[in-house]
Amino acid sequence: MTASITARLTQNSRSRQEKPKVRRTPREGFKVSWGLTALMLVASLTIIVPLYFTVAMALKSPEQLGTGTGLEWPNPLHWENFAEAYVATNFPRSFLSTALVTVFSVLGSLATSSLAAYAIVRNWNRRFFRGSFVYLLSAMFIPFPVIILPLIKQTAILGLDNPAGVVFLHVLGGISFNTLLYIAFVRAIPAELEESARMDGATTWQVFRKIVLPLLAPMNATVGIFAFLGSWNDFLLPQMMIADPSLQTLPVVQMLFQGEFNTDYSLAFASYLMAMAPTLVVYVLAQRWVLSGVMRGAVK
Amino acid sequence: MISTPSRNLRPGRLQPPALDALGQRSLNRRSLFKAAGAVGAAALIPLTACSSPASATGVTTIRFMQNKPEVIGYFNQVIKDFEALNPDIHVVQDSNEGNFVPSLVRNDPPDVMTRGYAQATADFTRKGIFADLSGLPAASTIDPKVQGLVNSWGQYNGNETSALPFSLAAAGVIYNRDLFAAHGVQVPTTWNEFVAACNTFKAAGIAPIYGTYKDHWTIQQGAFDYVAGGTLDVQGFFTAINAKGADISSASRESFTSNFGAVLPKILEVAGFAQPGAASKNYADGNAAFGKGQAAMYLQGPWALSELVKANKDIRLGMFPLPVSNNPEDAKVRVNVDMALLIARNTPRMEAAQRFVSYLLQPAVVNAFNEKNAAFSTLKDAAVTSNPQITGLAPFVKEGRYYQGAGTYFPPAVPVGNYLQAFVYGKDGNKFLADLDAEWRRVAERTAI
Repeated sequence: MTASITARLTQNSRSRQEKPKVRRTPREGFKVSWGLTALMLVASLTIIVPLYFTVAMALKSPEQLGTGTGLEWPNPLHWENFAEAYVATNFPRSFLSTALVTVFSVLGSLATSSLAAYAIVRNWNRRFFRGSFVYLLSAMFIPFPVIILPLIKQTAILGLDNPAGVVFLHVLGGISFNTLLYIAFVRAIPAELEESARMDGATTWQVFRKIVLPLLAPMNATVGIFAFLGSWNDFLLPQMMIADPSLQTLPVVQMLFQGEFNTDYSLAFASYLMAMAPTLVVYVLAQRWVLSGVMRGAVK
Repeated sequence: MISTPSRNLRPGRLQPPALDALGQRSLNRRSLFKAAGAVGAAALIPLTACSSPASATGVTTIRFMQNKPEVIGYFNQVIKDFEALNPDIHVVQDSNEGNFVPSLVRNDPPDVMTRGYAQATADFTRKGIFADLSGLPAASTIDPKVQGLVNSWGQYNGNETSALPFSLAAAGVIYNRDLFAAHGVQVPTTWNEFVAACNTFKAAGIAPIYGTYKDHWTIQQGAFDYVAGGTLDVQGFFTAINAKGADISSASRESFTSNFGAVLPKILEVAGFAQPGAASKNYADGNAAFGKGQAAMYLQGPWALSELVKANKDIRLGMFPLPVSNNPEDAKVRVNVDMALLIARNTPRMEAAQRFVSYLLQPAVVNAFNEKNAAFSTLKDAAVTSNPQITGLAPFVKEGRYYQGAGTYFPPAVPVGNYLQAFVYGKDGNKFLADLDAEWRRVAERTAI
């Protein structure tokens, strides 16, 4: 999922750069780059083909799954797979749980990392802040599976063996990488902008809120996307942390389509499609911002 | 707010149309965030409300962990019936088995569990995770032979009954009844009859056996377990080799080399009757192909039956134990305790958990479950199964002529499936056994206490 989104991003950022050229061909004398266009078409297959399989699988009956090469479009279509998957996963409930975990993980990641990065960059001359940067970075060297059982014990003691604990750990898990991203970005913001605000009497919080945070928009988009995908698709942490099965998130609940010896492929794929839908919708809606964010981040 | 600093930062970079877009963008984004925040806050209220415990009403809630997705519906019905009879108990079914070890870490394990009972679960038993169930009245209704299978893996304190078997799966050779009838082949009861049957199908251009050797576990639970179980005293062999510990070498009396020599040629012979290209087929391919009648026999357990019927709902299937000797009396089936009921030792809701387990072990519940899922009841005086798919195995199960698969005795650190795959492809039996001996010794050295 992450890989495919990244692929889509690069692809689209390319097409974004291309489009104006194509449109302006007659006026500015640019030529259509057919080679690049062909390459992009081939690259788009890496998304379209798996997506086609997912949709086709989701609409097949078990008998249709077993016949042919798997490439055929099913006939008749079995829309009832979606209804069955909806009931089996208790979709509204698990969807709500996943959505809440994701929303708060994203907001938490944005808030903590940007504040930490701002504080560290503006106090770079102090040893404590330089040290805390190294401290945050050093967390990246600890592989998560190594500490998962102690974390489970700790969160249980703290009463966090529920979605709130997952949010907490998502924010915590991303803080080193996200702060790293923000720090590089905050460094590029000229201090003069803030000084002028200070001249007008702004407090540190106002400077951050009114000057720095808006300037961080492209990086907010990048961090938000990473946090969203990581949180939405996370399997291991919710699986091991959430004790109450009724609060479990979608990726974990969807495991019920895979038994040891029996996999219900059509229901599984129908369910995967439903779980993917919000990601796709958010992407389509937010495409412009996402792309501009990636491009602006890239230029810096 | 955003457009102004952007202009400052990158003078001349952004063209006027882009600026317009930026201006709009900030508005839209803000409203989107606001909407998302409102939705999030609104949604938080019901979630926190429903996570609060409802113990005030006097109802005890117990958690029942169950790892078979295909029977969730069945247990939902059982739970409903149970709750109707026991209004003071509420049972929550949990199919997220990945949460089992974390729940032990949290010291909050599920109150009642079903698990397949073999090496892995026995490890937990030996550590005293589960309560002693020998005092339950239901414990005395269990077939002692089946209980013996559970106890053979070791008991806590040497005498506790930590698990009560709920479902016994018997595996053998699945055969296509229509193909057998069309070619006048009877169910073989001796090795020679089995070979003759295979040759009949081969001569008729039908693959005698559908092999799925890409999934090495299918070789392990199929040809390896069946031939070994029919030839050797599997449990006796593993008891001896475990007792020997790390002293094992190929020359020892207890080694694989000294005991499995007679088993290997027959494994190769069975494997040789598979269709061409078996090395590139996996379990799912096998189910689809066998379901469509592309082979006469399939070395799988009852778990494959529902998949075969899924691929072809008109298929008529039967099962027989693979005869490995020429004395029909020697034939035995491979069984495993597919589900055993367990109660967490430290549950504060012991009484409710015991009532639920006792309910599950009522003949009506156990027998109906096993009848429905092509498995065998674990109760002493269970009625003979009427499912034609498994009637061929019923007399063997009834008389206790069974063994647990040799493959299930290996610790997970010995990848016997991979070695078997290499053996079936490369046909070097001496190397296979020497490898197993060496690997067994290495693991025994590491895990020696």
